[in-house]
Amino acid sequence: MSGRRRAATLLRCWGCVLGLPCVAFVMLAVASLLASTPSAVAADPSAEAFFEKEVRPLLVNRCFECHAGEKAGGGLSLETRDAWAAGGESGPAIVPGDAEASLLMAAVRGDDPAWRMPPDDAGPPLSAAEVAVLTRWVAGGAFDPRVATASIGGMSEAEARSWWAFAPLAATDISGGPERIDALLDARIAEAGLPVSGPADDRVFLRRATYDLTGLPPTADEVEAYVADPSSDKTQRLIDRLLASPDYGVRYGRHWLDVVRYADTAGENTDRPLPHAWRYRNWVIDAFHADMPYDEFVRLQLAGDLMRTGEPRERLNEGIVATGYLAIARRFGHDIQKDRHLTYEDVIDNLGKTFLGLTISCARCHDHKYDPVSSEDYYALCGILESTRFAFPGCEPQGQPRDLVPLASAEEIAAAREPWERRRAAYEAAVAARAAAAEAGAGEPAEPLPPEPGPEPTFPLAYAVAEAEPMDVAIQLRGDPEQLGEVVPRRWLDVFGGDTVAAEASSGRAELAEWILAEPLAARVIVNRVWQWHFGRGLVATANDFGSRGEAPSHPELLDWLAARFLAEGGRLKPMHRLIMQTQAYRRSSLASTVAVEADPDNRLLARFARRRLSAEELRDSLLAVSGRLDPSAGEAHPFPAESTWTFTQHGPFEAVYPTTLRSVYVMRPRQRQHPFFAIFDGADPNASTPRRETTTVPTQALYFLNDPFFHEQAEALASRLIAECPAPPGGGSLAAARIQHAFSLALQRAAAEEEIELLGGLVGEAAAEDAAAWAGLARVLLASSEFLHVD
Amino acid sequence: MTAPTDHAAWACQPAAVARRGFLRSSVAGSLLMPGILSQLLEGEAAAAVDPLAVKPPHFPAKAKRIIFLFMTGGVSHVDTFDPKPALTRDHGKEIKADHPEIKDRPGYEHIFLKRPQWEFAPHGQCGTEVSTLFPHVAECVDEIALIRSMHTSHSNHYNATLGMHTGSFAFSRPSIGSWMSYGLGTHNANLPGFVVIAPQQTYAGTQVYASDFLPGAHQGTLVVPGETPVANVAPRIPSPQQSRELAALAALNRRHLGDRRGDPLLETRLQSFETAFGMQMAVPEAFDLGREDEATLALYGLKRGQTSGFGWQCLVARRLVERGVRFVELIDTGSSNNWDAHGDMQTHVPLAKNVDQPIAGLLRDLKRRGMLDDTLVVWTTEFGRTPFNNTADAPGREHHPWAFSSWLAGAGVKKGIVHGATDEHGLRAVEQPVHVHDLHATILHLMGFDHEQLTFRHAGRDYRLTDVHGQVVREVLA
Repeated sequence: MSGRRRAATLLRCWGCVLGLPCVAFVMLAVASLLASTPSAVAADPSAEAFFEKEVRPLLVNRCFECHAGEKAGGGLSLETRDAWAAGGESGPAIVPGDAEASLLMAAVRGDDPAWRMPPDDAGPPLSAAEVAVLTRWVAGGAFDPRVATASIGGMSEAEARSWWAFAPLAATDISGGPERIDALLDARIAEAGLPVSGPADDRVFLRRATYDLTGLPPTADEVEAYVADPSSDKTQRLIDRLLASPDYGVRYGRHWLDVVRYADTAGENTDRPLPHAWRYRNWVIDAFHADMPYDEFVRLQLAGDLMRTGEPRERLNEGIVATGYLAIARRFGHDIQKDRHLTYEDVIDNLGKTFLGLTISCARCHDHKYDPVSSEDYYALCGILESTRFAFPGCEPQGQPRDLVPLASAEEIAAAREPWERRRAAYEAAVAARAAAAEAGAGEPAEPLPPEPGPEPTFPLAYAVAEAEPMDVAIQLRGDPEQLGEVVPRRWLDVFGGDTVAAEASSGRAELAEWILAEPLAARVIVNRVWQWHFGRGLVATANDFGSRGEAPSHPELLDWLAARFLAEGGRLKPMHRLIMQTQAYRRSSLASTVAVEADPDNRLLARFARRRLSAEELRDSLLAVSGRLDPSAGEAHPFPAESTWTFTQHGPFEAVYPTTLRSVYVMRPRQRQHPFFAIFDGADPNASTPRRETTTVPTQALYFLNDPFFHEQAEALASRLIAECPAPPGGGSLAAARIQHAFSLALQRAAAEEEIELLGGLVGEAAAEDAAAWAGLARVLLASSEFLHVD
Repeated sequence: MTAPTDHAAWACQPAAVARRGFLRSSVAGSLLMPGILSQLLEGEAAAAVDPLAVKPPHFPAKAKRIIFLFMTGGVSHVDTFDPKPALTRDHGKEIKADHPEIKDRPGYEHIFLKRPQWEFAPHGQCGTEVSTLFPHVAECVDEIALIRSMHTSHSNHYNATLGMHTGSFAFSRPSIGSWMSYGLGTHNANLPGFVVIAPQQTYAGTQVYASDFLPGAHQGTLVVPGETPVANVAPRIPSPQQSRELAALAALNRRHLGDRRGDPLLETRLQSFETAFGMQMAVPEAFDLGREDEATLALYGLKRGQTSGFGWQCLVARRLVERGVRFVELIDTGSSNNWDAHGDMQTHVPLAKNVDQPIAGLLRDLKRRGMLDDTLVVWTTEFGRTPFNNTADAPGREHHPWAFSSWLAGAGVKKGIVHGATDEHGLRAVEQPVHVHDLHATILHLMGFDHEQLTFRHAGRDYRLTDVHGQVVREVLA
């Protein structure tokens, strides 16, 4: 295979690791199953008899070894009429009624010995009698009763229409509260005969809920107040308080940024900075904080510019910024324009997974192998993206960024520019006149120079999308942009009805948002994410895959109940948090008997609460919070070098780490060179959607706690804080003991036990009470402890 | 935190008194970390959750470990390992080629063959020809299976480098070293299983050694030659102090583990501190060349006290594999000032000099220690360089994905052979072409893996290093 061909196949086919050559799928657009059902069309009985008696056995015996099944040679299957009519890489195999024009006949006759079929290594050439049978068959119209079972992508149509995730929501009665959820969970636990863990105590619960909703530890005062509160509605008030905090937006916004693979660089070969992408990041955080209804949240990300056209500037700006969702797609290669089909794949992959839990992007090269998505579907969506103007981040051969969207109207821009341009023109004219006069020897003119024009007016820009010339695109055969097939109209996935873009004058992004939201699947996918963000595991464990390769829901009835309830609540997340967090299941202790753990190691049934390690962001934010150094304000732009200075090449790509004490969501996250801290602690890879954080335990994490400078700094800051805040033992007693108590209350939000004071007192030593280094040692121990690092 | 009492009946109760006694003695600083935690933990439970535990391959194989030598930027095959007399003969002749690097490129409407810049001569018993750029490696050809028919799928550095490391030419995927670590585990808990030694980041950055969707334990650990080659390994506080802190930490964590016993999340974390503590000593020990004798240093062309250079990388690689590291990759240089000789082929001279003696030294050192019998050495680059340019006298060569040379040596590899060939001008791999996927399949085979069976289920699919491609090059197997 030539380098070029090889490149085409390889680039287009990754992700479909089926042990099969890609070409196999191309012609299986209609059917994967060999069907023998006679066609409904009445057939000439003699033609049918001839086919069954002579032709079918010949095809099976002499051709099927290669031209059937998934590895059909040259992409040609002879299994059904549709398959040979579509043909393989060389085109249709048979022209009914014209044996001379049929490639199949040329091949079996061996007109060109190099193309003779069967090839030498697959058996002897066909006999003259066999060739005669085929000639008669083709010349006589190639009657073929074998039709394909109708299918969409990798599912039969019937299967696809009845796939559980696509079905209408089963829940009819959406009344009730947390007890409804518990009833559904408890029924399954009882069925399995699992022992149930009792409720976690107040302190454990408060810490769990606080980390869950804010990504930060509670303060010791908060613990004390909550534990001491005798009122019956204290949990409800706690949840309300946490949900109202801006930190909720930071925490849940970060969850969303994982899914949409947010990054601050473009990901192409020079990994250019995206200086304006942060507006989308902050918009996500604000949207969670404001509890924006989910339908609006989805619409704005796909088509905010269109949805908000004609609205006041501020609302329109918000809509524009939200389309940063599309703009932040990864860019590929050297010339990103040339590889934009890969960026489209990245977008389609992400929006399929994010909003619908569907893996659509396989269909770039061939129909989906398992799920009901065809290549036509894929390129129908591709047309919507091709009709959209993406902000251009720049790349080595194409220069600096362009097509960013100004967050001001043309009039506003003109109004600000006009006086500046006038000043500039006047100034430049005066300077020129003066130079000319000087050259002419006229001497210094009397009137002074007009004032300098001042800095050019600038306007905030959004890394966002806009409408482009609407157009449909052609299927790229085997995903190769240079091999084009039929043009597919912009439309929705066939399995969901295949509606087409109505208004010829638009990209179809607005329609796309509506199509997505019309599917009950969209509600199932988001409530499942919310569930997973609370419990660590979704009711569907594969949060990005609700297709046939994903896991079936552990509690289908509950999933539908939640989805229906969510829709009834106006698609708002905060009522769902309240509902879920007030269940007994959420309150359960993470301690469990060996029997319970062994019976349900993945905790599918939730008879206990799943202990978890802090995420990378929570760990870093907690270190800063406890050391007293956390800057709680919202981050904005990163200190990237000015665009005018960019000279990034693939030999010298952009590379930076910007230290900050802001919350981790505001740390600059590049694509090509993972931020070292997040790389150590399983941060999200911004190159692909992260539906769920993995938790690894590797020695490099322990080395971090032993020797990392940032960690040591925080421990030293905590030590200074201990010394400053606890200068003397309250009421006499031991200073060391009092200070250890203070350290425990700051870091672990609990009192130290006698044994622990004894243990750590030995480490510090009474004599070292004023010795910051000794207290830093104590701080290191607490900040590296399992208790600090895990949530029960 | 203490457990609610209603669970006490289920929880495994540790012997509290004995534990307290232990805590006292450890806080006193009389105990060092290694081993303590292993004693505390049920050893088997820890092994069951250790992703780096040693695992057998699919079938028995001679090669137990790999040293992967990657030359950044694209080494010219026709100037190093692929002699082309016809290229000298036809120097200046115009040719036509539908080549990705010249397509639509102004000034490249006409291209002309350009002769090799260095002389070739046969070497060793086998007579394999190597150019004067690699005089030391030339002396080792009897150990080498040279593949002259390599080809790849992309002509950009980024994509070709990513492809050579992950089998994917566009998307992030697990690195070959991560696959090996995943497949085989590692022998030395005090060292990472997959180490990358590189003075600078090559193209595609950290993706070159990323574990991607494989468990993070299989991530390559980057070592940058210099005084402190591994991040966070140098203790920031005096050792007795650190021991006391770690003992206190272990004691505190043990208390915490008390009724949470059996949670692999917590148990491996305790274990990881022990490993990290060990790494603080094992890593500097592995990187300390002080005990190597003069003869050994001389083999690699090293001066005593030197802590950088490719010789240092090679000798450290030997020390690492000796200590149980499964996969060591050495990258010779970064994404600039490398083999990417567009401007002048003469830039190959210092780059070859940088690696030639160290590589030969590595092969000889492994051999004399008997380690070449179970160590596989791979030498490669991301693509070759064009045997033509837009003028015959242009001093450089362009990117060439159609043909390049790679070689294998050591465990399971045929000695002193040449596999495959390019056409007379070195333009295309014509005889027995070997794609990057085929090289990967062959390396996995040498390590005891069927490349179609070494898979990982991710996002609903079984992924493998070779995507849907790859054929083992049986002709190079001993």
